[in-house]
Amino acid sequence: MRTLSSLQKRKVETESGRLLGRCHDLRGELTGSNLCVTGLCVGKNAWFQHLGVRSHDQHTVVPWEAVVRIEGKRIVVRDDATN
Amino acid sequence: MNKIFGLALGILAAIGGFVDIGDLVFNTAAGATFGYQLMWVIPIGVVGIIVYSEMCGRVAAVSGKAVFDAVRERVGFKAALGALVSSEVVNLMTLAAELGGVAITLQLLSGLPYRWLILFAVVGFAVIIWVTSFNWLERGFGYGGLCMLVFAVAAVKLGPDWTKVGKGFIPHITQNNPTLYAYFVIGLLGAAMTPYEVYFYSSGGVEEGWKPKDIGLNRANAIVGYLLGGTLSLALMIVGATVFLGHGIAPQHLGTIALGVGDPLGKIGLLLAIVGILFAVGGASIDTVFSGAYNLAQFCGWEWGRYRHPKGAPRFAVTWLVLLVLAMGIVMTGVDAVVLTEYAVIFSVVALPLTYVPILLVANDKAYMGRYGNGRLANGLGLVYLVLIMVVALTAIPLMVLTNAGQN
Amino acid sequence: MSRSELDIGLKVLDHQLLDKNGRRCGNVDDLAIEGGPGEVPRVIALLVGPGYWGQRAGWIGRLAGWIGGGSKVRVEWSEVTKIDSAVHLRNDATKLGLGRGDDRLRPYVEKIPGAGR
Repeated sequence: MRTLSSLQKRKVETESGRLLGRCHDLRGELTGSNLCVTGLCVGKNAWFQHLGVRSHDQHTVVPWEAVVRIEGKRIVVRDDATN
Repeated sequence: MNKIFGLALGILAAIGGFVDIGDLVFNTAAGATFGYQLMWVIPIGVVGIIVYSEMCGRVAAVSGKAVFDAVRERVGFKAALGALVSSEVVNLMTLAAELGGVAITLQLLSGLPYRWLILFAVVGFAVIIWVTSFNWLERGFGYGGLCMLVFAVAAVKLGPDWTKVGKGFIPHITQNNPTLYAYFVIGLLGAAMTPYEVYFYSSGGVEEGWKPKDIGLNRANAIVGYLLGGTLSLALMIVGATVFLGHGIAPQHLGTIALGVGDPLGKIGLLLAIVGILFAVGGASIDTVFSGAYNLAQFCGWEWGRYRHPKGAPRFAVTWLVLLVLAMGIVMTGVDAVVLTEYAVIFSVVALPLTYVPILLVANDKAYMGRYGNGRLANGLGLVYLVLIMVVALTAIPLMVLTNAGQN
Repeated sequence: MSRSELDIGLKVLDHQLLDKNGRRCGNVDDLAIEGGPGEVPRVIALLVGPGYWGQRAGWIGRLAGWIGGGSKVRVEWSEVTKIDSAVHLRNDATKLGLGRGDDRLRPYVEKIPGAGR
């Protein structure tokens, strides 16, 4: 079991080591009595984007299926994650 | 017709409640030190508090949330915790200063010992807040504060050189002692735009159950009320300039400030001035202690508000009681109320950005505001004041150190 | 974004909790998520209480949490009925273990005349 706070702020990198940014939020889908996680909200300036200084929709959403593993201080996603 | 009557009453309460101990101390001292040269700062401060109060009121009316509720949601836990700690520290200092002011005016009226009057004042406030509704708390102290209008009368009666007064409204830098001048600019702005006012105003909106349809009326109330209330600050500076500058007196005591009215208007004027100060500073004490309780309760998610009654919001009630006791402790140490006021104002200036930035963010957020979000005027003014606040916040402590808290 | 899509941190985390009577009973201090890479993770519980502040803000959070009493309450996600600007719960705050601070103080506060209607 993880917590949302433990996933936020982690670096998001592709398997080949490219840094996509930081995870500043999780995209979810609310259906009936279930809230499922569908993706990561990744952005360079995590704090600014969370504040909504730029429009909150401008960050990239990496679908959860593209997550390969979660380790240490980072989240590793597939190389083709942002396509 | 009923609405207009209600609006008029609201405006009167806003005028009477405008001045607090920071305004009293800084405006009079500014007049006593620099004459009319700092008049131009007052309108800037007044417009600033109008702009941000209007935003807070709108946020409360549309989203049903007070500022601090929205702060934690919008800027995140860490920043909100920082804002909470800094606001509580500054709040407590301000509350102690206001309580000291109340005790001093009670002493001027009764001649009883200061420390007993501090206890009396605190117990009095505790009882009054416990039994009085939010609406009557605001109105009661607001109407009593209308006695402060005697300062406006005095200002006119003192027959200042109105050309000089007018020239004071043109922003300029003085040649003689610019650092002290800058210190007073900061102090005057800080006294006008204190953080506790916006926190209190927004929570007050939720207490009074404002809805979007109330926005227009509340906007009018704030604008007219604060503009007219601002004339009291002008009056204080004029009194300071005509009575004290001429005689080389530095008003270090509230009694001295009241004497500024006694000079042209005699014993009755003096009495009204002291009573006015009592209600204005007393009302400010209540606003301040509530602001401290609101912030803590809203950060933690507790039930809050005078409208819930102590039974409905026990932790909130205990919080404002504890804050009163802590502030009493500070005042009992014998620290000078005027000195404490200066420190409280300067420290709240430093905390201003952390207060105002979230307000601007939330007032623009469609999720909270729907179609009532900031228009171009609110955003334009909001941003201009934000820049001003940043500059002021950065220079406040250095200037305080350089001028030895205005004792230069 | 379709209407049932939301940013969890923005729309749920740090928001006010309201019980079935509209009583304020805490903020969402964290969320428990089950499921990792290769699965569909679900939010399974709300984590409420100063005891969870340490994981939000490091040592300052831990200190603040300690001052705040360090309580930890877990509310199953199934208790959530609606999410608008607040997170609405199906049950009474007391039944869920929320708002205990207020419940504990209430008997003392009530003893003082004028405490409520």
